[in-house]
Amino acid sequence: MVSKGILGLGGAAFGLILTAGAALAEPARSGGTLTAIVQPEPVILTAALNTAAPTGVVSGTIFDGLVDYDRDLKPIPALATSWETAPDGLSLTFHLRPNVKWHDGQPFTAADVKWTLENVWTKIHPRNQVTFGKVTGVETPDPLTVILRLGQPSPAILSSLNSNGAQILPKHLYEGTDPLSNPYNNKPVGTGPFKFKEWSRGNHIVLERNPDYWDAGKPYLDRVVFRVLPDAAARAAALEKGEAQYAPLSPVPLKDAARLGGLPNLRVETTGYEWLSPWLFADFNVERGPLKDVRVRRALAQAIDRAALARVVWFNFGVPATSPVPSTLTDFHAKDTPAYPFDTKRAEALLDEAGWARGANGTRFSLEIDYIPYGDDFKRTAEFLKASLRRVGVEANIRSQDTPSYTRRIYGDRDFDIAITWFAAFSDPQVGVTRAYWSASVGKNIPWTNGSGYRNPEVDGLIAAVQGEADPAKRRALFRRFQEIVLTDLPTLPLLELKFFTVEAVGLRHGARGDQVYGSFRDFRFDGPAPGQSRASAN
Amino acid sequence: MTGTLTISAARPRPAGLVARLIRRPSAVVGLALLGLVAGAGLAAPVLYPGDPLDMIGAPLQWPGMDPAFPLGTDMLGRDIAAGITHGARISLMIGAVATLVALVIGVGIGAGAGYYGGRVEAALMRLTELFQTIPPFLFTLAIVAVLQPSIPTIVLAIGLTGWPGLARLVRAEVLRLRDGELVQASIVIGASDARIIGLHILPNVLAPVVVSASILVANAILTESSLAFLGLGDPNVVSWGGMVGAGREVIRTDWFVAAAPGLAIVAAVLALNLLGDGLNDALDLKRALR
Amino acid sequence: MRMPAGGSAAIRRLAQMVSVVVGIAVVNFFLLHLAPGDAAQVLAGEAGSATPEYIAALRAQFGLDQPLGVQFAKYLAKVLTLDLGFSVRQGLPVAQLILDRLGPTLLLMGASLGFAVLAGGALGFVAARHAGRPLDTAISALALLFYATPVFWIGVMLIVVFSVWLDWLPVGGMAEIGTGRTGLAHLGDVLRHLVLPALTLALYYLAIYTRLTRAAMLEAYGQDYVRTAVAKGVRPRRIAYRHVLRNALLPVVTQLGLQLGAILGGAVLVETVFAWPGLGRLAFEALFQRDLNLLLGILLCSSVVVVLANLAVDLLYAVLDPRTARA
Repeated sequence: MVSKGILGLGGAAFGLILTAGAALAEPARSGGTLTAIVQPEPVILTAALNTAAPTGVVSGTIFDGLVDYDRDLKPIPALATSWETAPDGLSLTFHLRPNVKWHDGQPFTAADVKWTLENVWTKIHPRNQVTFGKVTGVETPDPLTVILRLGQPSPAILSSLNSNGAQILPKHLYEGTDPLSNPYNNKPVGTGPFKFKEWSRGNHIVLERNPDYWDAGKPYLDRVVFRVLPDAAARAAALEKGEAQYAPLSPVPLKDAARLGGLPNLRVETTGYEWLSPWLFADFNVERGPLKDVRVRRALAQAIDRAALARVVWFNFGVPATSPVPSTLTDFHAKDTPAYPFDTKRAEALLDEAGWARGANGTRFSLEIDYIPYGDDFKRTAEFLKASLRRVGVEANIRSQDTPSYTRRIYGDRDFDIAITWFAAFSDPQVGVTRAYWSASVGKNIPWTNGSGYRNPEVDGLIAAVQGEADPAKRRALFRRFQEIVLTDLPTLPLLELKFFTVEAVGLRHGARGDQVYGSFRDFRFDGPAPGQSRASAN
Repeated sequence: MTGTLTISAARPRPAGLVARLIRRPSAVVGLALLGLVAGAGLAAPVLYPGDPLDMIGAPLQWPGMDPAFPLGTDMLGRDIAAGITHGARISLMIGAVATLVALVIGVGIGAGAGYYGGRVEAALMRLTELFQTIPPFLFTLAIVAVLQPSIPTIVLAIGLTGWPGLARLVRAEVLRLRDGELVQASIVIGASDARIIGLHILPNVLAPVVVSASILVANAILTESSLAFLGLGDPNVVSWGGMVGAGREVIRTDWFVAAAPGLAIVAAVLALNLLGDGLNDALDLKRALR
Repeated sequence: MRMPAGGSAAIRRLAQMVSVVVGIAVVNFFLLHLAPGDAAQVLAGEAGSATPEYIAALRAQFGLDQPLGVQFAKYLAKVLTLDLGFSVRQGLPVAQLILDRLGPTLLLMGASLGFAVLAGGALGFVAARHAGRPLDTAISALALLFYATPVFWIGVMLIVVFSVWLDWLPVGGMAEIGTGRTGLAHLGDVLRHLVLPALTLALYYLAIYTRLTRAAMLEAYGQDYVRTAVAKGVRPRRIAYRHVLRNALLPVVTQLGLQLGAILGGAVLVETVFAWPGLGRLAFEALFQRDLNLLLGILLCSSVVVVLANLAVDLLYAVLDPRTARA
């Protein structure tokens, strides 16, 4: 959709990036109100303190990151205009954009970055404590320069610097407070293209254009309204009627997405999620029952037709996964790793070999399937697995529960056999993938970590090694070895690479960055008359 | 609670009941519908011997597209007709067992309160008020969410929250009977409480309880479908509520997936209510509690 | 039966309210603590990733690291001083969250119940006056059909027909956002948004009140004083309005008080389907987020509303039926 080459040049060149087919000469139409749908309602509006998806969507246009990511997940300038890594990999220098102001008029400086890193990212941010774990010191020689001193090379930092990965909070409003209960979490002050105006809980969040935005002339819209619509049918209807023009994060049932995409006023977009790279998988509890045996795990893998799963359950909003590192992470995804093609005969043979012959009633053994309660797609995935396993003589019972019960069961009590869930891989597997295999987190009741209970010292060693390796080629080799081992031992069965989607009005135009789902709306604009435009000009 | 809730004393003999019942058109329609639903449930293992959760066809086939699936298939290619018939068993079972739970609690508390009076009554009625004050559906939701959704927990939750109306009804009836000649005479001749309650009171309370029970079964089926709509169903068995819940995602494109079980729910709830009405009239009760 | 009026009723209701409030606090506190996982875990789970330090920090912040008994004692002490506490999940005082949502819910409940009682009463009245004739059968059948159809199903279907196909009414929400409408224009906007959810919730209760009114009217027709009136040659219309309807209203009013708790449960479904920013949905979300303070706060407030409504019913009784006032 977007020509990729020009993106890396710098923030100033960013203004005219348009979706395919748009005439570059057409003047950017300014004004109007964008009504977006956010679901579920965010908890707070600062992604630095809550990395949940809805917070990311709203927060992403109130704040800026040091960088954004293009479709190839390469960093492009935002609040940082340039950056260098020292040759030894032990320091990282950012040059900040001058004359940037917080929404309350205070200047944005290196002190804000330093304060947030020292007090939020490395203290309470759920992911960044690891990503920034090797930072030994932060220096700010002048207000526009930040130097990170590193105990070990930390290349993954550069994959986690957008407004979602490492959001910068205004030091002058947070210093000396408890960040988690700071009132500004609910009425955020950022540097982004839109300012927070009002939040009516259960109803809507209103943002207004930031007239002093550093990217002159932007944003194009006057106002952004996020509506909270809890029912999927109502979300579809609102989009269909044009009451809302932008709805990210797969807002409607997959079947409905195809229908909405066929309407003249809407389009379904699967780009903008590259930075997330979500993957769907099944954790096998390797500490319990028949699943202790790798042959059984491999057999179950071969009993599941992943192509059919993608087609039937996910309506092709997903493709079969061959590795825990999604193929969208082109630098790290390994091909020719151990594969488990759909083959029920082979599966039955493996189960026989493992000593689980069919009993008198045709059943070999029974187990429990738990699924992440994030919607019917996951429930149907469980139902699909249940029916698939039944064909090779394994009886499964599906258990439903809400999210806290689920995370407690899988990551705390470990009282399960197969658990279906999804992770965001992020642009570096160190951030999003290795956590599923690292033995240190087993049974600690930490959600979204190692659910299978897999403990392999060699894998732990590889995970530690990639964190401190600066040489890209060596990291690739380490990740390749990592993928070979975990696909041989198969504690976790990668099922699909999911494709999240956005439903949006055809008249809505915006850039297509790889992290657009959590990115700012600075280039969003309407082609032709914008909703709310007449009112805006009448005022 | 008030005089208008009292139910007339005349009780017909059972033989007359059937005759009276079949003279009421609503009761006949209700019985016929209920027979149809129960018949479908009974015939399910014969008509559709396989597991109704098996993915046996192409997904989302409209009714009539494939003669093998007269009502079409759902998102996973499961036969909807098989689901409806097998679901009849589960949904009726949920309704019946949940009602039984509510009956045991409601009749127990109502009879205890009405018969013993005094502090026992005050305490039991306060408990009833407590349960009536907490929004019942919210309470059911909370119990199911806490115990995690499965058929037994759903049944238990519906039963646990369904009894207060019944307790009030039974208490009012018992109060009336307790002061009646029969019970007073038994007390005079020294009959035990258990004997009096079992022999003289409960049989006479039976009629309004039966009428209420038919409504409670209907309500339980509706509640189960509402729970399923909110995602709190049991995925291991087919119930109508679960089918409607699964079909709501494709309601705009393939409405038949939710429509068929939805109609089944309407039919069963309608049948039970018609039957309740018919019983009410036939038993000559002026009004049963809803 | 005894039916206290005036002051004694108020005192009795007040005592009842206190015991119910304590009862609800006890039942729900321990019920929710039976559930696996707590609010800290919900937040950590939603965050997509977490560290043990992050979870421990949350737990300490929410006071979840203290013994259960201490947590409960603290909670009860607060409730009894009318302090509903702080919603750890939403980062706002519970009282504020509830006040924000109470208005929309009362509007929805009031509109639905008002419509249900008026329309249901009228239908029941007509049906009773035509008892046994086709009109009665038609009304009764319609009422039963409404009663038997799942609420959420009606809601979704109304959206499809009136919002999407006919495009007459908005899909959901409570008002168009950011229009800056005030006064009458704003009121009109809210009313347009109210139509479908209120109708959805009302149809079920409409069925109940239709049946109730019809039955109560028929019963009243059998009473001696009505027979006397008929014998005296009072015109049927006058009998229907003056004697029968007035008495038939008693059970309707009773039912109204009993139903308030139930209708909030129904509001969970309707508010979910129509994105109505009310208490029912807030309670539902609080449950799944293990937001104990918030859920308890909502249950307590709704029970207070129910108890107050019953008090109002008692007083209304005294007005409608002079006999109870003498008792």
